[in-house]
Amino acid sequence: MARPPPDPLYILRGSGASVNALHFCCGGDRPPLLYSGSGKGAVHVWNLSTRRAERVLESHAGNSVIWLNTFNNSRSCLISQGRDMRVCVWDLSEGRSAVTDSLHTGSVGFCQCSLLESRLGSTLLAHPTQHMEEVSVVEMSSWTQVCSLKPDSNLGMLMSMKMWQADSGPVLCAGYEDGSVVLWDVSHRRPFSLLKVHPEPVMSLDVDVCRQKGISGSSENILQSWRLDNQQSLQMHDSIQMTNPGVSQLRIRADGKILASAGWDNNIRVFGWKKLKPLAVLQHHTDMTWTITTTA
Amino acid sequence: MNMKNNEYESAYNVMLLTNCRTEPLRTSNFKWRMAEHQIEDPKIAFAYLRPSCVLLTKEPTSANVAALSGHLRSVSDGALQQLQDYILFPLRFVLKTPGPKREGLIQVVMEAMTYILENTCVQRWESLRDLFSELCLCLCSPQDPGKPAMTSEELKISVLGCLDTLLHSAYGDIVFKLYEPSMLPGLGAAVSLLLALAEQEKARSVQTASLKCLLSLFLQCDCKKEHIEPRQHERYLLGSALATFLPGISRALSLVVSGDVRQGQAVTVKSMRFWYKTVGLVMADEQLEKTGIDKAAGDLGRVGELIVKRTPSWRKSTSQRLAIVLQRIISCTSAHPHWKVRLELVNLSHHLLSQCSQAVVECVGPLLEALVGAINDEEPEVKNRCNAALDDVAQKGQTNGRQDFTDVLSENLHSLASSLPRLMRTSDDQRKLFVLNVFLGYLKILGPKIDVVLTSAVHLERISKALMQVMELDVTDVKIIEEKSLTSSADLRPDVQQIPSQRKYFLYFTDDKIFSALGKICRMLGYYGNLYLLVDRFMELYKESSVYRKQAALVLNEIIVGAAGIGVETDTPSQPKTNQEDLKSSIVSIIEEYISLSNWHLPTVSEALEGNPESTVLPVNNNLERNSLQLLPASKPQTLHQLNSNIWQICIQLEGIGGFALALGTEFSLLLMRSLYPVLEKAGDESLLISQVAFNAMCDFCKACEYSSPKELVIKNSDYLLNDVSLNLARPSVHPHAPRVLAVMFTHSDASLLPLVADVVQDVLTALDLSYDQRTPQFCSVLNSLMKALVRWFPNMMGHQKLPTKPRQNSTCVSLRQFLLDYKKQKELAEGIGVEDEDPDDLDIPPPASASDEDTEAPAVKKELPLHIQIAKDVMERCIHLLSDPSLRIRLKVLDILELCVCILREQEDELLPMVHRCWPALLHRLTNDDPLAVPRAFKVLCVLGDSCGDFLRRRVSKEVLPRLTASLVKQAEISARSGPVYTHTLAYKLQLAVLQGLGSLCVKLDLMDADLDHVLDACVPYLSCRQPIRLQEACLSVFRSLMDLDSDLCWFILNQLYCPVVYDPPHPLLLPVKLSGANKPRNQFTDNILKLLQELDGEPEKPDIDASHDR
Repeated sequence: MARPPPDPLYILRGSGASVNALHFCCGGDRPPLLYSGSGKGAVHVWNLSTRRAERVLESHAGNSVIWLNTFNNSRSCLISQGRDMRVCVWDLSEGRSAVTDSLHTGSVGFCQCSLLESRLGSTLLAHPTQHMEEVSVVEMSSWTQVCSLKPDSNLGMLMSMKMWQADSGPVLCAGYEDGSVVLWDVSHRRPFSLLKVHPEPVMSLDVDVCRQKGISGSSENILQSWRLDNQQSLQMHDSIQMTNPGVSQLRIRADGKILASAGWDNNIRVFGWKKLKPLAVLQHHTDMTWTITTTA
Repeated sequence: MNMKNNEYESAYNVMLLTNCRTEPLRTSNFKWRMAEHQIEDPKIAFAYLRPSCVLLTKEPTSANVAALSGHLRSVSDGALQQLQDYILFPLRFVLKTPGPKREGLIQVVMEAMTYILENTCVQRWESLRDLFSELCLCLCSPQDPGKPAMTSEELKISVLGCLDTLLHSAYGDIVFKLYEPSMLPGLGAAVSLLLALAEQEKARSVQTASLKCLLSLFLQCDCKKEHIEPRQHERYLLGSALATFLPGISRALSLVVSGDVRQGQAVTVKSMRFWYKTVGLVMADEQLEKTGIDKAAGDLGRVGELIVKRTPSWRKSTSQRLAIVLQRIISCTSAHPHWKVRLELVNLSHHLLSQCSQAVVECVGPLLEALVGAINDEEPEVKNRCNAALDDVAQKGQTNGRQDFTDVLSENLHSLASSLPRLMRTSDDQRKLFVLNVFLGYLKILGPKIDVVLTSAVHLERISKALMQVMELDVTDVKIIEEKSLTSSADLRPDVQQIPSQRKYFLYFTDDKIFSALGKICRMLGYYGNLYLLVDRFMELYKESSVYRKQAALVLNEIIVGAAGIGVETDTPSQPKTNQEDLKSSIVSIIEEYISLSNWHLPTVSEALEGNPESTVLPVNNNLERNSLQLLPASKPQTLHQLNSNIWQICIQLEGIGGFALALGTEFSLLLMRSLYPVLEKAGDESLLISQVAFNAMCDFCKACEYSSPKELVIKNSDYLLNDVSLNLARPSVHPHAPRVLAVMFTHSDASLLPLVADVVQDVLTALDLSYDQRTPQFCSVLNSLMKALVRWFPNMMGHQKLPTKPRQNSTCVSLRQFLLDYKKQKELAEGIGVEDEDPDDLDIPPPASASDEDTEAPAVKKELPLHIQIAKDVMERCIHLLSDPSLRIRLKVLDILELCVCILREQEDELLPMVHRCWPALLHRLTNDDPLAVPRAFKVLCVLGDSCGDFLRRRVSKEVLPRLTASLVKQAEISARSGPVYTHTLAYKLQLAVLQGLGSLCVKLDLMDADLDHVLDACVPYLSCRQPIRLQEACLSVFRSLMDLDSDLCWFILNQLYCPVVYDPPHPLLLPVKLSGANKPRNQFTDNILKLLQELDGEPEKPDIDASHDR
């Protein structure tokens, strides 16, 4: 008999509203942190040693926070994206909690930004814009736009994206409302390839850069994984059938061993990433799960 | 005789002349005593003393000796020194004179000689030798020179005193000649003589004097006079000489020491001192290292045979023999009643350990034992001395790094550990304490080397097993199971005041001192030992068998505390050896083990004893326990002893966790996450002992983590607690106590907890829905505390009482005319005339059904309710179902909860009314068809409901409730009227009472009208009878009083129908006379109460007899 799924290790309470964004920060010898963004604009900084909120940042004028990230895994700098159409950069060092910079994206959708920190020190941010299908990539230090990526054909609204550094330069993978996934060559501002993965909008995607493999989910009950071949073209690879339709977020753990999905059926599912073998269904939440994250 | 005297005299003169020639040159060497009247000049002194000297030689009488000694006093020391031989001569002459002498004479001679020797020095070897032997002769019996003479004690004392003085006054360069091999026979004779005196003499002072003499003889005297400090080779000489006499000395002194206690401590102390000084000299490490110095003394002839060659083999055999003597001495003195003896034993051990620990290897063990045994002596001086000695010894042992020393210690420790269980079983408490103190002393001397000892598996095994056996608890005390905590866990006191912990009973000892000694041992182990090693070992034992579990936990607790440096007596207040991280990780692992399911949720209540619903969860738990642990065959019920043992184990673990908190200090805050919940769980245990200990542990947490009170602790860490609560609620079979903890939290927190707790409350409700059959009682108590908390957290809503529906009109007098006008108006109103211009107040009596309809019609637009309202609503929903639970107890509880729910929902009437509507059928059933216990409670709820939503209920009550209530009241009235005093203990009575007490206000709140009031009054009237129990009468009076507010006319009329005290004459003959049926009735059973009520009706300042509805 299979063992029952594990209980939660700990439940962090008190975020006051639905949690829409999560981010781990485990660098250094200091206790690991978890940032959570709530539907009411509060960003909680959880100390995972004491399991208490170290501080609470009120952000985005009470609008939902949909994405959080840190630079270089440092605790002093947080970047957040909210439904008030802004991306904010926070200075959290030495107890400060001030917005040092902000960018008006103009996007009213739910698409999360993607951050790419290259070794050269320049940091690229891909964000959705007021044109629903457009992705804009900006250089963070100066907020100068590097490029704007817009598909030729009408793919609908931009739903989800991920940017990473390939040998040839930065690459961006974006999922669209009509269920297709496009791989963009950021430096040349052209698509490498396009793959129609789902019949429904792509709700979430994640890419394992090492294995050149990605996965995407939509409002149906199938998770579809795809491959990038040497010519940077997307090809269908494998798929998983789930019992209930709908995925809010997919995450591949940094070590490339585990894939986790946040489902609309209140459950979190864990799969082995290599063979997409179902490992566990974590049942705790009593409402739709919005977001998940894994430690680096 | 004369001839002889003359001869001496002439010889004397010659001697004097030679002296006079040489001595003046050396006078400057002397320190002169500057006495004014003393004769300084030797020549004058000589002339002065000469006559008495001559006279003494001629006539040896006491008088002459006295005369001489009188003259001596007026001669200065310097002159005396020069004339020493001359003056001594006649005295010695007296001694040498053959034939029997009177003791008195010898005694004065001794005194004179003592005086001379005290004030002069013996410079010539010949004088020393001769005087020494002459004095010795005085001591021994003339017949047998080996035996002491049968002289008087005074004489012996003065001779011994003189001898002692002689040895003190001997010059340093000549005194060592005494110890040369050629002198051995004479010296030996003297030693044996003195020993014989010490051994056989009855008089204490003689014994001490001879022992003092012996000490001086070997330059070990400890009096205040100046002494010669022997140099190394001189010490060697002394040692060699003494080696010869060692067997004799040891034999004699061991006899003395082990002699009668009545001989006085001074004798014992002196003989011990002489013995250990001797041994210390003979066996000194420095002397034995170079045995080659022993010169071949071939030319000594037979004397050479006496000389002992201190070869290694000799050393070995001697050391073995000494060990036997030592054992004897220690056994006699270690528990000697006089502290000076014990102090001397410490000195002995210290001296020998520092002087000759290598030479007398065999003795080191016993010596150490004696030393460490004194470490907890009740006499502070002994204790201090012992501590100093131990420190010294330990330091030497540690700094020298001598392996053998550690070996001896660990060997001792090992054998002690082996025999410890046996000793603890057989010996008395005093002895046990001593043994444990010795154990502790060893650990202390070993210090950091404990680690070395413990790494030996054999040692660790031995020590740990010994501790396990010694600390076995006595679990036969049945009282512990029987004591139930009456106060609930919700009762956290606001201050950190620990309850004195229950005494533990051990199988093998009773004295608390012993337990504390054991604690010290464990702490010392923890302080010096390798923490991981120790924790591993004792955890192993803990897991190994349930027999060891409690002891192992006790030991672990102390080890951790010791490792943190708490409660350890160390010489250097150094930082604890163990670093904080190691300590923390050890603590974490121990706590994990302690609170693991199989060690924490032990059955503490016998299934047979289970009576209260709280413990109904336990059988499930027990089974689980048994299956997982296999402690017992599942069929066998737990015996009392096992339950008792379980209780103790939990207590020990709780104490441990508390101690860990103190050991870690504020660092423990992080561990609260794991440990607070289990402790709080136990704080609510039914067993009094467990709950007290758990409370103490919480106090420890407060101290460690700097909270002012357990309450603060709970509030500040409610997030940690909630986490466990919510996780455990999902598994009620394994963690049955989560609701209890939650209840405690509700009791103590404030409204800020509510947002955190909202989802947990939902969990509770879900869990209740899923398992309402088994766990309802617990959930009910949680819901009860939750609702109580909500009522407390949102009190402003409570303040919002419905205004009294009938503000009283204060007008003192209303004219009949006004009354009639009002009446007419009412009448018209009732007929529907002039409604439109009537007061808008009437609008607030909407048809109740429509109100609830509206509510249900538009749920979509309903705005989000405040959290507490929502919760109360959810809870009330459950109550509807649970109201018809088969268990009476639950029904009662649910009625309580219902009441609280109503209190909270009161502020939102549009939420309350539909809920009331839904729960009405169930409540009605409680009111009408339930157990007599439930009915009063349900009635109370009804009263509250009436208070909150009076109008809404009026019709229902009058139609469905009142008829039954009144009917039952009427029926019961007959019974109660005829009953005896026992009736007041029946449920029926209580029901009557409750109904009567509540009925009045209910009627007022529901604003009941004519027909209903008639019913009520009819039902109440029988209770006005004086035959009813007095409290029923009072309650009935209260109903009437309430109803008088409502409709005083009706009351008046009904009362007067029963009994009318006054005849109402019409004011005008035209009017018909008032005929009340109560008039002219004889005094009856109702009279008293009716009179009282009527009086109140009249006595009140002319209350308006107007229908209340008129005022509205």
